[in-house]
Amino acid sequence: MKFLPYIVKHLRKNWIRTVSTILAMALCIFLIGTLQTLLAAFYGGLDRASTERLVTRNRVSLVFPLPLSYEPRLATMPGIKRVAKSSWFGGVMGNDANPDMKNFFPNFAVEAEPYLAMYPEYGLTAAEKQAFLSDPRGCIIGSDLADKHNWKIGSVIPLTSTIPPYKIGKPFEFVVQGIYKPDEKKYPSHSKQILLFHWKYLYEATNQRASVGTYITQIANPDQAPAMASAIDKTFENSDAETKTETEGQFYAGFVKMIGDLALILNSIGLAVAFTILAVCANTMSMSIRERRKEIAVLKTLGFSSALVLTLVLGEALVIGFVGGLLGVGLTKVALSAAGSIPGLNGFGATLRLGPGLLAMMFGLSGLIGLLSGLQPAVSAYRSNMTAMLRQV
Amino acid sequence: MAAVDVQNVRKIYKRDSQEIVVLDGLSLQVPEGEFVALMGPSGSGKTTLLNLIAGIDQPTSGKVEVAGTNVGALSEGALAKWRSRNVGFIFQFYNLIPVLTAVENVELPLLLTNLSKSQRRERALTALKVVGLADRFKHYPRQLSGGQEQRVAIARAIVADPAVLVADEPTGDLDAKSAEDILNLLQTLNGEFKKTIVMVTHDPRAASRAHIERHLEKGVLLKTVTQHDRNQAMAGV
Repeated sequence: MKFLPYIVKHLRKNWIRTVSTILAMALCIFLIGTLQTLLAAFYGGLDRASTERLVTRNRVSLVFPLPLSYEPRLATMPGIKRVAKSSWFGGVMGNDANPDMKNFFPNFAVEAEPYLAMYPEYGLTAAEKQAFLSDPRGCIIGSDLADKHNWKIGSVIPLTSTIPPYKIGKPFEFVVQGIYKPDEKKYPSHSKQILLFHWKYLYEATNQRASVGTYITQIANPDQAPAMASAIDKTFENSDAETKTETEGQFYAGFVKMIGDLALILNSIGLAVAFTILAVCANTMSMSIRERRKEIAVLKTLGFSSALVLTLVLGEALVIGFVGGLLGVGLTKVALSAAGSIPGLNGFGATLRLGPGLLAMMFGLSGLIGLLSGLQPAVSAYRSNMTAMLRQV
Repeated sequence: MAAVDVQNVRKIYKRDSQEIVVLDGLSLQVPEGEFVALMGPSGSGKTTLLNLIAGIDQPTSGKVEVAGTNVGALSEGALAKWRSRNVGFIFQFYNLIPVLTAVENVELPLLLTNLSKSQRRERALTALKVVGLADRFKHYPRQLSGGQEQRVAIARAIVADPAVLVADEPTGDLDAKSAEDILNLLQTLNGEFKKTIVMVTHDPRAASRAHIERHLEKGVLLKTVTQHDRNQAMAGV
């Protein structure tokens, strides 16, 4: 610690260069942090996917519905514990002429009782659950959504669907009967921005035009998931609406795949940025040490060992790394809190959250870039010959 | 007892395939508390000899013993530690660290000790007082004159209380008045503080301040001029 003021004084000497390098590092950490948060959000569904839940949809496309008659057939299949209907409602606030896309959030019509029994992620109190089940117009919303719009139990949420069969000439009105908070330890990536309401309400309000988007089934033995999925699809083979059944994880992965190999693209960008910043920082450190060859020779003459000189140079690089990292993390936090309001970004329930793992990765990366950028000049200072350098003085 | 004992030292530098003999079987003894000036033309090996005495270079063969330690037998790390405790180095161009104040420059060698921050500061201020610059302790090198910078460099050299001071052309970059002040200061350090001083110089006036002048040429010690010789020369004997 007694050498820290010495390190800081050197960094302050050429403060424009130091600040520029720190800003470059901060930008790198910010970009990587943001990209990784987006990735984590998109792939969050995979993390939270249950191995005992299967999703059955129309084989042609998710856009095409499934007949209501499939539910009793699924329910009686051996190995299936529960079945629940689920339909994407695509509701927005505002009206048809002027939909409020800015405040869009995911909303689904579900068969509430079996659905909630399958999804312990929706942490409700017993009273809230009972109130929701007994109110045909009731809905439950995530705590983030409630906080954002200041909705409370009893609030009425008017939503108009963007899907033609679900348009009824006026908004649906949902009464908030529960505000769910997922257990942060068990389900850290579960979205807190979803609205669920009764499928029956949708069915009745649309004069029985509503269909089923997906059937969610809970199976008794997760090990049998592939066999069960295959059995379900075989049951509806050669029908008007053939099915495609997948585990929940495969279903989410399919969604992510629709936007290409996102992980490869974002990770490649992150890697390119990190490598560029490493080169920039390494160049800065090299210049800084090259300018101080005389000083390094003097330090060694005064009795500073080569190992200590190496440590001091690496210390400078690490300070740049960590300050840049700290700034980058701060920028990322600010950007993510602002991005929460970007329309569509969390439309599928993606939670933009800077988790402890990602934070550790960002700080680790900034330290690593700092360390690597200082390595070559530090080794060069370590190896430098005092007499040769003093002769150049 | 000799503070510096150089025995039959050879120093050979290799440049490509060519070997350059800088010191050729040189021996030198400097008793404790002595003030020795090394003189000679450029390339005679003065600075190389000084570097060997200061422990910043190693002889090709022979033995260099300073303050009772065989310098050649120490590892790189041990030698650095030894230097910090036993040798104070004064450069021609001062070589102060530009981003540090005078007192911080003087404190530098003490960072290698276990002294507390306040003890380090106290000792650095004492050293600055010895060289007459206590009132300039907060000044940066760029705010000092050449003579003052050299005084700070001398304070840095003595702050760890080393047995031996080595000075490489300490007045080479100074005007006559400043050079005079620096030589007076070195004499004080030798006379009052009993520091053994080995000084390389081209300047006969600077060399005359030492008790003994040793003349080198082509890596060999040629002649010795003592104070007695100088007195006799002045008396016309």
